[in-house]
Amino acid sequence: MQGLQVQLRSASPIRLEAEFDCGAGELVALVGPSGSGKTSMLRAIAGLWTPADVQGHIRVAGQAWLDTAAGVQLSPQQRRAGLVFQHYALFPHMTAQANVALAAGPGWSSADVQTLLARLGLATLSQRRPSQLSGGQQQRVALARALVRVMLRPTADPTPTPQALPGVLLLDEPFSAVDAPTRQTLYRELAALRQKVSVPMLLVTHDLAEARRLADRVVIVDAGQTLQTGEPARVFASPRNARVAELVGIQNHFEGRFFKDHAGWGRLRWTDAAASGTGLDLAVFDKNKIDDGTPVTWVLNGEQVDVMADDELPGVASLGYTRLRCRLLEVLSLGEISLCTLRPETLPSQTITLNLTSRLLQRLQVASGGWVQLQIAPEALHIMPVRTK
Amino acid sequence: MDWSALHVSLTLAALTTLALLPVGLALARWLAVTAWAGRPMVEALLLLPLLLPPTVIGFYFLVAFGQGSALGAWLAASGIRLVFTLEGLLLVSVLVNLPFMVQPIQRAFAAVPHSLREAAWVSGLSTWQTFWRIELPLAWPGLLAGMALTVAHTLGEFGVVLMVGGNIEGETRTLSVSLYDKVQGMDLQSAHVMALALVGVSLLALTLVLAFDRVGPLGRALQER
Repeated sequence: MQGLQVQLRSASPIRLEAEFDCGAGELVALVGPSGSGKTSMLRAIAGLWTPADVQGHIRVAGQAWLDTAAGVQLSPQQRRAGLVFQHYALFPHMTAQANVALAAGPGWSSADVQTLLARLGLATLSQRRPSQLSGGQQQRVALARALVRVMLRPTADPTPTPQALPGVLLLDEPFSAVDAPTRQTLYRELAALRQKVSVPMLLVTHDLAEARRLADRVVIVDAGQTLQTGEPARVFASPRNARVAELVGIQNHFEGRFFKDHAGWGRLRWTDAAASGTGLDLAVFDKNKIDDGTPVTWVLNGEQVDVMADDELPGVASLGYTRLRCRLLEVLSLGEISLCTLRPETLPSQTITLNLTSRLLQRLQVASGGWVQLQIAPEALHIMPVRTK
Repeated sequence: MDWSALHVSLTLAALTTLALLPVGLALARWLAVTAWAGRPMVEALLLLPLLLPPTVIGFYFLVAFGQGSALGAWLAASGIRLVFTLEGLLLVSVLVNLPFMVQPIQRAFAAVPHSLREAAWVSGLSTWQTFWRIELPLAWPGLLAGMALTVAHTLGEFGVVLMVGGNIEGETRTLSVSLYDKVQGMDLQSAHVMALALVGVSLLALTLVLAFDRVGPLGRALQER
């Protein structure tokens, strides 16, 4: 069994319900707000934190690092976890070279360490102490120190075949303490690194854009629980529940009620909790997953909404689409893209936010205060049952 | 200058420091990292010699080890005499110097970020290797400060020495006790020399302590942040 499998449960000191995996060579991001427990999960994998009442297992390449059923619990020293700490935790009294050599296994010579440092662009800085290095340089030393725990010693033959020991690479908010340009460079280096080392890589971050950009899959974490796992695009497009939608920062997140209509079709009644009686209906698919009359939360995916001029007539291909007349409340121009706030005519207490190209707005000849029509495809509506505690 | 007294003082200071270093190091390291609820109690006990008059400590020492006590009688039967001897003086000196040795070392270990220990563990270092290769090199200024304070304080100790050691030339008469004798005997010339020597040593020790506070790898690293 390749890769990393994690399944952990505990009740105190913090509640933990974690279940996810990470294949060899895969990069999985644990994403969640601060205090959500994502760093605790990373520390549990490294063996630095084990709640007394924990149940479950952590397996790496088939080897149990923790298995409460079998009574297995390896020490941090016995686990092969390359951990990059949030503030690097470099040893301040040692040179960069010594920091890395300390973690290197017996197969590594000091020349090998130097080779690795050179690959990370630290060839001339290896004799410096951490305080004499910039944030980005320190981050690379920390990465090198983590890498030597999971890498076989570099060979003179630069074969691209990924070589690795059965371990994991754990990155705890590694980019949070460096400035933006350095971060861009480090992103590229991480991407390049993945070509060379095929171990499971876990990245803890609260930055959604970062997770989206770097990770093969994301794990959404909240209150010690892993809520949803999947490819970033998928999780962002169809969050499993309202909390996930909130956590991934989805705009256009509303409440309503689902009704069954004729075969295969349903009606989404968009309501306003504050003003009962008002509302409007949107046509949706009925996938037979939600009962008639169920209160739901739902998300409108702006990328699947067409914006048309107020006087444009519906086309032939618009069967099943909902037309919604809206007033353009506000237009914030951000260069090519404009952030537009729209208010439905029949439900004026709600607003929809769309990112429209400035070209489209020019073509429609509409400015704030004007009217447009939204043509909403059924696919643009993602409906979730209200999460009950 | 009372050379014999100087010799006793220096011997006592050196032996006290050597005996106290391993004890103080172990106590300080433990206090710096323990989460045990009884820690403040232990810390208070260690600080007690700073507040108590030396006569109280000397009194209890005499009670515990004098001929009248069971312990003292048993020791005497074994041929060990602690009252009015350098050995007894050394024992009590170790006790009263505990806060001077432990405090700076404890502060130095507490200043080592816990993440460095964790980084060492995940790098494969055992707790023992972590202590020798990471913690001790970062905490050494605290050790030097503790040693300097202990030496200076032992040289300047007076009350306890007089009560426990008496005033036996070549055995328990330290520089500070000798100074007292000289003043009593109106030998102000000698008193001046010895007083000046004690002032010099204490000033030197304190200067070193304050200097160590700012040097060392950790101090430098923290300042450059």
